[in-house]
Amino acid sequence: MVVRSILARLAKKAPVPVFLISGIGGDEITDRLRLDDRLHVTDSPRPAMILMIAGRLTSDLKYAALQVHDQMAEPRAVVRWSPAERDPAAEVFPHFVAVDAVAAAAAATLAAAAVNTRDDLLAGSFPSSPPLLPDVEPNPWRGVGPWGQGGTGMTGGVPYGRPLPERAKDRDGLQLDQLLMRVGPFLPALPEGLILEVRLQGDVIQDVTVGANPFVEEAVPDSEEEELPAFPGPADLAPFLASLRVPVAVAELELARARHHLRWLGHALRVHGLAALGRRVLALSARVHSQGAGSSNALGSAEVVELRRSLERNFTLAWATRGIGRLSGDQLAALDGGPVARAAGIERDERCADPAYLALGFKPVVYAGGDALARWRLRLHEAEQSLRLAETAGNSMTTVTGTAEGPTGPLGRGPGPSSRLLPLLPELLTGLEWGDAVTTLLSLDLDLREAALTPPGSGVAPAWAW
Amino acid sequence: MEGGAAALTILVVALGAFLILKGVGDVLNPPRSTAPSRVPFSGGLSPDTHAWNRYHVRYYPMALLFLAFDMEMVFMYPWAVVFVEEGLIALIEMLMFITILLFGILYTWREGAFRWS
Amino acid sequence: MVGEALSTAGLALAVVAVMIGGTYVAAVLDVLFTRLTMRVAVRPLAAAALPLRRAAQLALQRRTLTERPDAGTWALAPAVLAALAAVSLAVVPLTGTLIPVEADTGIVVFAAAMALVVVAVYLQGWSPNSPLSLVAAYRFVAEGLSYEIPFAVVLIGTALPARSLALVPIVTSQEHLWNVIRQPLGLPVYLITVLALSFWGPLALPEGQDVAGGTSLELSGVPRLLWRVAQLNVLVAVSAMGAAVFLGGWLGPWLPGGVWMALKTLFLLALLVASRQFFARVRTESFVVVAWTVLTPLALVDVFLAGIQAMVAAR
Repeated sequence: MVVRSILARLAKKAPVPVFLISGIGGDEITDRLRLDDRLHVTDSPRPAMILMIAGRLTSDLKYAALQVHDQMAEPRAVVRWSPAERDPAAEVFPHFVAVDAVAAAAAATLAAAAVNTRDDLLAGSFPSSPPLLPDVEPNPWRGVGPWGQGGTGMTGGVPYGRPLPERAKDRDGLQLDQLLMRVGPFLPALPEGLILEVRLQGDVIQDVTVGANPFVEEAVPDSEEEELPAFPGPADLAPFLASLRVPVAVAELELARARHHLRWLGHALRVHGLAALGRRVLALSARVHSQGAGSSNALGSAEVVELRRSLERNFTLAWATRGIGRLSGDQLAALDGGPVARAAGIERDERCADPAYLALGFKPVVYAGGDALARWRLRLHEAEQSLRLAETAGNSMTTVTGTAEGPTGPLGRGPGPSSRLLPLLPELLTGLEWGDAVTTLLSLDLDLREAALTPPGSGVAPAWAW
Repeated sequence: MEGGAAALTILVVALGAFLILKGVGDVLNPPRSTAPSRVPFSGGLSPDTHAWNRYHVRYYPMALLFLAFDMEMVFMYPWAVVFVEEGLIALIEMLMFITILLFGILYTWREGAFRWS
Repeated sequence: MVGEALSTAGLALAVVAVMIGGTYVAAVLDVLFTRLTMRVAVRPLAAAALPLRRAAQLALQRRTLTERPDAGTWALAPAVLAALAAVSLAVVPLTGTLIPVEADTGIVVFAAAMALVVVAVYLQGWSPNSPLSLVAAYRFVAEGLSYEIPFAVVLIGTALPARSLALVPIVTSQEHLWNVIRQPLGLPVYLITVLALSFWGPLALPEGQDVAGGTSLELSGVPRLLWRVAQLNVLVAVSAMGAAVFLGGWLGPWLPGGVWMALKTLFLLALLVASRQFFARVRTESFVVVAWTVLTPLALVDVFLAGIQAMVAAR
């Protein structure tokens, strides 16, 4: 039709609406994908045209990825990139555009592939991806009696394929319905891979169950090609894990830390409604070059100082985070240090035990608030501090091995920081309004890939050997 | 056309225009779906129940306060028109009315109806 | 008869033209401000084409169906929102002589139409039968109940010096001094409540990223486009009303009335659209507390001062 071709031509230069899923190995490139002007990463799969799968999907993520794919509006297509040669989970997507590239070029190539696929989809030359899950209603309609009548609750039987929520007691004595919401691995506001079963009454959480970490994989015992499972951990943790075994340049570590904090900030600002500012911060984090790259575009601490000042003056951010998500004394004790503990007044930092840092005049940053606002301020301050340390460090190397202070907490000694935080979530989130719960989760800077390095029950150390 | 009828006509015409545009959209791209595509999005997993429930609207005390102020507003509209002619008495009467309602806000605040977590 | 019909058609066309033009300008302003905040190249021509390109892309997408939605209200919600915005714009005098709908109680028609926005947004969130959408809808009702009172009271304040609820007298009563100067509390309170009304920027509670888009969560294709257009329509209508009752409408030296009205509307529209870049989204509870304990008393104080001024002026 003429109308369709005119609209398709007009739509050509629009940013491609993309729903981004990242599996193992994908976290390196998600930021660069978000920074790409040709893409518009959406908050929900409905308006997306391209399902972009970065990295290798584990088997636990497979079903959710299929579900999300089917939830996308047509015309749709799948574009994927995986660092591994063979990617068995992704084979469930029969029609996809595979992007072959090294990690460094993957983001740009993925974006180009998405644009081309979108143009072809709209022009009609690329077939829209068909539904992949079987077209079966979740529950066939049935009642208790032979004609579908009877049953308990607000309506008899199981009408229209799903039941209606049932009642439960609430704090102010009213007995109203409780909605069970399964918040899945791919909700953009939450940390990637976090699965929660939340019981909501109104918009206040009554009960939370944390699902199994989808990035934890069991070794495949009987595959023909004996391939070690790839390193699930976040890519920006690599220098810190290396420093567990060998001395690493202090500047390298601190730049990695600054990059991590700025990346967290970009994501958090976006979820709090400051999307454009968040994208600018992501661009800043991309400019934190590795030591020795010597680019004239490298980020200096002065720019972060300016950013910090403007964010501290932003009273709406303070409103959104003040007093939210305080951890109790017991919970903080379970954490054994890290930014979350430092934001509650506990002065513990692994870097204090390292003479190389002390020689640079390092003092740990501590805030007393203990709430989400304190954690925000702490991470901003630490980012600035890290950049300044990197500028003055020169060639000094770390001297302590065995433990290290990662950007989310101490590494190398028992469970990782995210593994310690995950069991605290049910107690922390119960009683919070949904928006406040998201704010709390954001401020904790959970990383399920890092939690997969030390799955619960694994005891000490072996996972750190990666 | 007289004011009210004109406003109503605009309402109906705009409503119709948007509904027609939606219809055009359906003609251009007929909607189709399968059962899994209809699952509401909450991150990729499926729900157990419908989302509709007897939602606990925690701000119901605030809604009562709103009703009180809404009634005050209804009286403020004609008051604004005749107020200057009536003079100081009208002003003082409205002052008393509003003060009573402001005490209502204070009471609601002290009762904690604005905080519901 | 024919003359009357033609003039009615002309006035209707004027409303449609202002609405479409204003919506497009609002969309372009949003793109420009976003690019400025991101510190990327602005490229004004590309920015001007971007809303049209995005609209074309949405027009080629199928719309979403969910499990057991309320199809009727889901289809009506964006249409109702746009219709309410159209009625609100229609009561605003565009120039001294071009008044699409001349109502004796223009302010009341406006406030009534804008009060029903809560219903439209709630239906948009409730109809798809989706949990996060539902949470967003109820959030907006909390927001809606809170902004209504300061919004209406501040508008009544502007009616006091004119001693009339019709909009033409309200504008002409500002011949010597605009309401923004003699009622300084009015415009700030109006702008904040109007941001809540059009759920834009810091007060986009039902569309937040923490509810994955909330009321727009299950939207795709043409309904998504219509919803976004309806939201921008509301922004245009409230900017035009603000320009009329606070900034003196068509009054002003040298330039014709229509141009003044356009400039003032554009100014308010730019302020509202830009707020999205500077302020984070406010928590529902925080907004409710601020609206009832700060905005409502300020609005009432504003009405009192306006009343005293009007009485003194009448003596």
